Amino acid sequence: MSKQDEELIAEYQQGNDEALNMLFHRYKMPVFNFALRLLGNRAEAEDAASEVFLVLVSKKEAYQPKAKFSTWLFTVTRNACIDRIRKRKNIFSLWFTNSSGEQEQWEIPDDDGETAAEHAARRETAHQVKSVIELLPPMQKEALILREYQGLKYEEIAHILGCSLENVKVLIFRARERLRVELASSILEDGDE
Amino acid sequence: MNNPADIKYLISCYLDGEVTLEEKRIVEDALRKDPALKKYLDDLKKVSASLSSWTDENLSPDLEQKLERHIQSAGKGEGRTMTTSSFSIPMKTGAAAVAALLVLITVFINIERNEQLARLKSIRQVNEQIALSTLDSKQSQSSDQPVPSPVYGQKGQTEIQPLALREQEKYEADVLSDKLMAPVTEKKIDEGFFRIEQTAGERADKSKVDRVAKAETPKTLEMRATEIAGAMQAEPYKEANRRNIAVARSTESVASTKDGYLSSSAGPAQYYSLGGQIPAAPYPSKGRISDGEMYYPISPAENFNTEEYDRIYENAFLSSVENPLSTFSIDVDTASYSNIRRFLNGGQMPPKDAVRIEEMVNYFVYDYPQPASEEPFSITTEAAPCPWNPSHVLALIGLKGKELTAVEAKPSNLVFLIDVSGSMDEPNKLPLLQSAFRMMVNQLKADERIAIVTYAGAAGLVLDSTQGNEKPTILSAIDHLQAGGSTAGGAGIQLAYDVAKRNFIPGGNNRVILATDGDFNVGVSSDSELVRLIEEERDAGIFLTVLGFGTGNYKDAKMEKIADKGNGNYYYIDSINEAQKVLMHELGSTLFTIAKDVKVQIEFNPAHVKAYRLIGYENRMLAKEDFNDDTKDAGELGAGHTVTALYELIPADSGEEVQTTDELRYQKREAIPSNEVMTVKLRYKKPEENTSRLITRILNRQDISQSSVSDNWLFASSVAEFGLLLRDSQYKGNASYQTVLERAQPAKGQDPWGYRAEFIHLVEKAGMLNPGPTPVPVYMNK
Repeated sequence: MSKQDEELIAEYQQGNDEALNMLFHRYKMPVFNFALRLLGNRAEAEDAASEVFLVLVSKKEAYQPKAKFSTWLFTVTRNACIDRIRKRKNIFSLWFTNSSGEQEQWEIPDDDGETAAEHAARRETAHQVKSVIELLPPMQKEALILREYQGLKYEEIAHILGCSLENVKVLIFRARERLRVELASSILEDGDE
Repeated sequence: MNNPADIKYLISCYLDGEVTLEEKRIVEDALRKDPALKKYLDDLKKVSASLSSWTDENLSPDLEQKLERHIQSAGKGEGRTMTTSSFSIPMKTGAAAVAALLVLITVFINIERNEQLARLKSIRQVNEQIALSTLDSKQSQSSDQPVPSPVYGQKGQTEIQPLALREQEKYEADVLSDKLMAPVTEKKIDEGFFRIEQTAGERADKSKVDRVAKAETPKTLEMRATEIAGAMQAEPYKEANRRNIAVARSTESVASTKDGYLSSSAGPAQYYSLGGQIPAAPYPSKGRISDGEMYYPISPAENFNTEEYDRIYENAFLSSVENPLSTFSIDVDTASYSNIRRFLNGGQMPPKDAVRIEEMVNYFVYDYPQPASEEPFSITTEAAPCPWNPSHVLALIGLKGKELTAVEAKPSNLVFLIDVSGSMDEPNKLPLLQSAFRMMVNQLKADERIAIVTYAGAAGLVLDSTQGNEKPTILSAIDHLQAGGSTAGGAGIQLAYDVAKRNFIPGGNNRVILATDGDFNVGVSSDSELVRLIEEERDAGIFLTVLGFGTGNYKDAKMEKIADKGNGNYYYIDSINEAQKVLMHELGSTLFTIAKDVKVQIEFNPAHVKAYRLIGYENRMLAKEDFNDDTKDAGELGAGHTVTALYELIPADSGEEVQTTDELRYQKREAIPSNEVMTVKLRYKKPEENTSRLITRILNRQDISQSSVSDNWLFASSVAEFGLLLRDSQYKGNASYQTVLERAQPAKGQDPWGYRAEFIHLVEKAGMLNPGPTPVPVYMNK
């Protein structure tokens, strides 16, 4: 039976580095992929993810048990991403290519048991999905990603985004509406995807 | 029960299991009763399912190892924990993270920053090289062409300035609008990370933003439509729109989904192309409603869309017995093409009414001969079997304006009238304009003048008319342009014209250039007043050009109209390349009007032509009497510009039926025997004159080629065919993306700027969006 996050972080704060290592491995994918979907490119996402984990490395007390560990972690990640986006826009936004600059090379990792055709179809869908999500306004995008890709409850999402629960419901609803409309012709019409 | 939106919203929560028992009951009830809602739920499930196609990625292995190592050596920092335990940290965990970050700065952030800067630098360098090389190749094209001196002077030294680093950081206010039922959050999470704030100015902006972004009910759209229609009614230009081309003001705005297109009212990302890089929309700036209605209207059904296009009723085949004369005004607007490009680059088909075929065809420059001595332009005619309907003939009529030598080129007196409302703050709007503007400034000559007036924000005279050699002053003014601020009414277009008048250059290129994303709050009280002002000034010699930016609020129809009135052109700027093209090559002193009020009238010989159809130009049709009427306004032609028109002809011996009236009882129609197929007549005025001159050109039977056609004809016809496909025209015959590519590809020619290659690319994109029975071949040599 694996230990709870809060237990692990407490252990780490008492000096057990291995506990942090376990947390790292537990959360490396969620943190990195959350950042990746927000920022749109691997390089920045890796930077952001590193930043997040290194915070814990350098400052054990960075996390206080006022909130769930995962909430805190996602909040820090989100902040790191927003900071990067803001810097992007202010300084070199006209020139700095982010996500879509790498669109050509974007490859989806293979799923086991997929045929080449299935993989191609999935990649096509993924491209579309990605581009629609990219266009969502920030809060909607974040809420949707946290819900659909991290599977968080609305309550937790509300904490991370710093808004009310009601708000989260609306954000997710709107994001889904947008997706539904944008993907209408490709995803919904042909029912067997 | 409640309104449908509420239920759908509940269904969304229901899908995630985040409903109270009561709500659950309500939803399940509704689902049982209404199959449409059941479908909605299924759709949402499908959407969720499709999201999973975007699978997670792994961290790079070496990064993972690096982090692991750091973590494992974390224990070595025992000493630190002792000190921090007594350190009372402010309870915002973000602040704690910042403290940690500061500690890390020298180790980590600096490295990161250098890497980033190096990356950015290399990107900029690549970009400079691209720009350098394209300019170079254009220069070497023809020596008699008055090419402006290159902007990119010395190697490595570029005039492209990055966006001015703002002295005061602008914090993005991610404002949660009142619709979202939450109070405006003024929580400061942390200094170093993300601040949510709202200044008074932003609140003021928001109300304006609200006005536009609030759902326009069908009623309000109708009302505005009739108001504008009424204004247009009063205008003489309206006459040009009569006959079979009723231009109905359509508030339908975008292609309805029944045509099978995506609701393209949901705008694509804002694009600016740097050799193919397409950034996504960044975080919105202050004062924006975060749920996105400003940028991307959700769906036609919800009527949030504020993009507007006039409906186009295509020209039909007309019998040459009944209608021997076809009269139209020339058009060198190109906005439709760049607009279409924007949609296709965004992965969507453009709305049909946004497709103006003549603008697409005229986006490209064709290789017509220079005019003989006296005349300001040459007329070229060429005809061959019509590609999409081989029993028809496709006739091309090309005009080429005389090139001016550097000596002859007249200096410009330009006044930029720039919309600085909050909505212009996006990278593809004001900043884009600024970048292109800087490039243009660098090629201004000493005897040219530039002024800048702003409106809809902090309005007024930003830069009084300044000579072209005072570049630092001008550049500084450009740098200080900022979107946002409260609206100062009044200042605007009148001021711009006044400045232009004060600095009028007789015989020069006097022009007001309006740059906006759709906001026409230029300080006049009504549309008709605006039109009147523009016409008056045009008559006094100050023309108007319109530059359109952005998506979502885009008033294509309106912008085109006012540019028409001002004897100017209308451009849609979707990328830095387009901005460059327009500002440097079209607006500079190389654009000099050499003929105004240019009208074309063609008489068809019924002995050879049973019927004809003008492709495009629906908005440009004139009554036949207007041709000889010098008081009737028409288009203008600039030095070196080409204008192309295409007619699809049904030969007299064709079996096709064309609608005709009965034989007249009191008049006999007698054709005069001749080998002439048609006569092309052109009327134009010299810019300072008010009496028109006439040029005539005849196309003979034997001129119709069966075998060889020029690249011009091939390329123009392929663009037209593409347009027919995009419009899904009833006249498209056997048109297909494949045949378009088959003709366009070999006719690409030198293509120094790559526009034709880009066209081919767009056709491929459209082809992929519309897979037919035969797949579209993708040309690899890009």
